[in-house]
Amino acid sequence: MKASRVIFDGIIRRNPTFVLILGMCPTLGTTSTAITGLSMGIATLFVLVCSNGAISALRRAIPGEVRIPAFIVVIASFVTILQMLMQAFVPSLYSSLGIFIPLIVVNCILLGRAESFAARNNVVLSLADGLGVGIGFAGALTLLGSVRELLGKGSIFGYQLYGADYGALLMVLAPGAFIALGFMIALFNHLTAGKHA
Amino acid sequence: MLEYLSIVLTAILVNNIVFSQFLGICPFVGVSKNLGAAYGMTMAVAFVMVVATAITWVLQHSILIPLDLGYVQTIVFILVIAILVQMLEIVIKKTSPGLYAALGVYLPLITTNCAVLGVAILAAQRDFGLVHSLVYALSTAAGFGLALTLFAAIRMQLELSDVPAPMKGVPIALITAGILAMAFMGFSGLSI
Amino acid sequence: MKSTLPNMVLSLAGIAIVAAAALAAVNSCTKSKISEGADTARMEALRAVSPEFDSHNTTTGADGLTVYNLTLGDTPAGTAVETFSDNGFSGRITILAGFDNAGTLTGYRVLQHQETPGLGAQMDTWFMPDAGHGMVVGSNAPLAVKADGGEIDAITGATITSRAFMEAINKARTAIGDER
Repeated sequence: MKASRVIFDGIIRRNPTFVLILGMCPTLGTTSTAITGLSMGIATLFVLVCSNGAISALRRAIPGEVRIPAFIVVIASFVTILQMLMQAFVPSLYSSLGIFIPLIVVNCILLGRAESFAARNNVVLSLADGLGVGIGFAGALTLLGSVRELLGKGSIFGYQLYGADYGALLMVLAPGAFIALGFMIALFNHLTAGKHA
Repeated sequence: MLEYLSIVLTAILVNNIVFSQFLGICPFVGVSKNLGAAYGMTMAVAFVMVVATAITWVLQHSILIPLDLGYVQTIVFILVIAILVQMLEIVIKKTSPGLYAALGVYLPLITTNCAVLGVAILAAQRDFGLVHSLVYALSTAAGFGLALTLFAAIRMQLELSDVPAPMKGVPIALITAGILAMAFMGFSGLSI
Repeated sequence: MKSTLPNMVLSLAGIAIVAAAALAAVNSCTKSKISEGADTARMEALRAVSPEFDSHNTTTGADGLTVYNLTLGDTPAGTAVETFSDNGFSGRITILAGFDNAGTLTGYRVLQHQETPGLGAQMDTWFMPDAGHGMVVGSNAPLAVKADGGEIDAITGATITSRAFMEAINKARTAIGDER
């Protein structure tokens, strides 16, 4: 198994958002614009790479019975470190992502990758897996954020493409999150349908 | 009294945890294929949410704030929830096999249900009193239950509908949830 | 690894200690930076809404509002009030409002709100002087939207938010009235 292969798998074949349908809360809650989606994706990527690496390094030292609490402590520590760093250096971004930053702890993607990959593979591969899945997640969030921002406000990353008045406000609001994600997963299913058969 | 009524209505209808706060989406999509499972999940979430909020409130106000340890909030809260869920599982298994059969499968899923941690953190952030926090947790759980049962009923109907292949399963469920969220938007601005 | 009581306790305790040490270290590095950042942000907002000033002290006015008494040199240079309304469309709206010595509104900034994006959320620019929706900044008397017999154009599709906005500004004005 090569690291590049693991990264690629994480981005496409096991894309956490479009294929595994994990981590839905931040996916819906933070993608009203491309920039918030991207920021949330990068925050998750950071925690995922760190926790995957640390858990993989510790995997022989953690007894099976207490591995879940041990993983949770590791993940929660990195999330807390991230919280403090964001509060110190990017306070406005921190407040716009709000509660979804501490909630990275309960993002099923992190515990899922820790349990199914990092606990069984060496540090290099686990870092690669964290990177791949993290990029897959960040990419999906950015894409969803861009689509919602474009349809809702007529801009991408704040760059106005057409008049904001022509945007469907609904796409920026809560229902738009569900609907846009539903259509994007359907599109992803459609595009990959031939390859599974 | 009126104050609590307003908290309850706001948490259930106006700021519904699923449709407007985007919390607890994983169980919302995962455990809403039939009504029985939806009830079971709701009960388990309500139980853990209220107990967890009570314990975290006490910890927050008796240890974290006096010792100026606010920054370890996330880690303490998630540990409380994880331990609580484990203990509940053991206690229910020993004392009430009937209840265990009904809730057992959902309990382990609750540790990673962001609604539980979310409510505990929100109650702490907004500086609610103990009773206020508990009413808030209970009504949020009721809102979660409402969303889940409504959605489960709709999904049972969807099973019978002729849906284009790529839309089957999660995509059509999400789009349906979007339309439900639109209906819930009608409640925003409601005030007592 | 096989689970035994000693190794379970030891490994968990080890991880917890390392985690606690790491968190305490990061906390001590970022703590001053975080509070400094909050101070800078508050000063920046104060300067944006108020007449020119070089120092300020803080008092608590009616309704528990935070009032910043501003001075330039030795002379009073106006007042800024962190005011709020709970009658918006969704949750509390917090606004920083600046007044000169005559009680004329010199500027405002919406600090926190959960109003609907694209509708109520436009209040951060809607009531600014160059938007042409009536004189909010520069006003000297209590404000009301046209629907309530006032002079101000409410935000299209967001009358409730606009009313709450007026309420918050009026509350701030009352608070500084009490101060004098």
